[in-house]
Amino acid sequence: MADPVLIVENLHKSYGPIKAVDNVSFSVPQASCFGFLGPNGAGKSTLMRILYGTAERERRPETAVRVFGFDPAQNELDIKFLSGVVPQDNNLDEELNVERNLLVYSKFYGMKRREADGRIDELLSFFELSEKRKARIRELSGGMKRRLTIARALLHAPRLLILDEPTTGLDPQVRHLIWDKLRQLKKDGMTILLTTHYMDEAYQICDTILIMDKGRKAMEGPPQDLLDSHIERYVLEIVKPDAGREIASMPVPEGVRSDPSRDRLVFYSNEAHVLRRIAKNLGHGEYHLRESNLEDLFLKLTGRALNELQ
Amino acid sequence: MSSNRLPSPCHRLYSVWFRHVLVYTRNLVSNGLPPFMDPLIFLAGVGLGLGRYIVSMDNLPYIQFLGSGLLVTSSMYTSAFECTYGTFIRLEFDKVYEGMLSAPITTSDLIVGEILWAGTKGLFFSFAVCVVFAVFGVIPLSASVLAPFVGFLTGLMFGALSLLITSFVNTINHFSFYFTGVLSPMFFFSGVIFPVSNLPKLLQPVAWILPLSHPVAIARALTVGHLSPLLLLNLLYIISLTVITGYFAVRRLRKRLVQ
Repeated sequence: MADPVLIVENLHKSYGPIKAVDNVSFSVPQASCFGFLGPNGAGKSTLMRILYGTAERERRPETAVRVFGFDPAQNELDIKFLSGVVPQDNNLDEELNVERNLLVYSKFYGMKRREADGRIDELLSFFELSEKRKARIRELSGGMKRRLTIARALLHAPRLLILDEPTTGLDPQVRHLIWDKLRQLKKDGMTILLTTHYMDEAYQICDTILIMDKGRKAMEGPPQDLLDSHIERYVLEIVKPDAGREIASMPVPEGVRSDPSRDRLVFYSNEAHVLRRIAKNLGHGEYHLRESNLEDLFLKLTGRALNELQ
Repeated sequence: MSSNRLPSPCHRLYSVWFRHVLVYTRNLVSNGLPPFMDPLIFLAGVGLGLGRYIVSMDNLPYIQFLGSGLLVTSSMYTSAFECTYGTFIRLEFDKVYEGMLSAPITTSDLIVGEILWAGTKGLFFSFAVCVVFAVFGVIPLSASVLAPFVGFLTGLMFGALSLLITSFVNTINHFSFYFTGVLSPMFFFSGVIFPVSNLPKLLQPVAWILPLSHPVAIARALTVGHLSPLLLLNLLYIISLTVITGYFAVRRLRKRLVQ
């Protein structure tokens, strides 16, 4: 396998007494999608900013950060030239229209006008924004702004795409559109790094995820592997509290784990039929039997839900 | 993969400057016309009113005395506005800088590009004043060729100084202290309205500490055609203040942009 695009070893970062990133290590191979999953405030954004030089890491001898072989503390420009960055806020230039937002960035990347014009056409159509070419930024919807910000990051055909919460606050339709585009880019050889607090986003597009909690790495691996090895396959949630009271008083069958920390009665098991037996006296709509997901895993790991603030 | 190479420092400064030009020229009429209106209003006011009471100042027709000062005050105000309110909005509200820093642009590129843009606006504003004054014969044509260059230096100096002020400001309202407490007094005591030599002896050195006194001295010398080697000292002051305040502005604003 080719050298990894990105190597991070023993990374630390504090803001005063708060440890934003606490001894995190990982590496990302080329043409893969690597996702950081964690609640708000877990240190994901800080980590991303350190990679392209808009946050400074703690200087420690055991720390190493290399992006395409460059250290962001010394060669921030080389990294930014090879990467496209989609920050958490869209920070588009409100004083310029859609097309000119991209034109200005083409200058930042040192592109020739003709090359830039061709690329702008291409990206606007790729992100279905061609009709909005002359529109002002404030006329765009949230989803359009996000797509334009991603288009801006792709202008110079980077080899690495860094996305900080690419679909937070967007409706499901736009999210799926963005996911499709990201999968397409990955197929064309792009390496993608993203942060998210949506487990379905991590599950759908990431080859590897790193679950972060309070600045620390809690777990790392392919999403399905993490689920297979760390949590039962099925989950039974008792939706109606009344119905749950009776079940709660009964002993928990063998091969079933219940989690008292959640706000509703929840059972986990590798066997769906065992869970179904627990729910046999419940009516339709009083329970929910489903496969486990990353949210359940995160909860088991940290005792908190993904969308909770830390 | 794009065949481009990492842009050079010059190209990076140019691209930051280009962004500002693109924004400014978007509203060509509303941005481009007022610099020409201001001197017209001044001419009407002084020509029709004030000029009847004050005929001459420091052996110059008063309209020429005041006019030569106004060549650079317009540059001062425009660059100060750009690098206080303008910069603060880009920094804190629109987050334009944060976006730019995700491209291959360093914080120094950003800030120095900003100063160059302030200089450009200074140049344009004093050019507008020159055109109007030359058309009405207020200042000789020879002076109006060189004066925009003084406007450029004025813009650079007040751009750098204002960015340094901005680096200390956390609330946009605080800029009013700078405008009413620093720039307005400077307008009155830097030899624009009356010569510095008319001030009490004790206060004269103070007037020469004020940044605006120096471009005013150069602009007036150009208007009158009395070029003396002493003007090199004024030039040295302008360059030094620009470099020093610019250096600290870059350092302090970097701390706000990089966590």
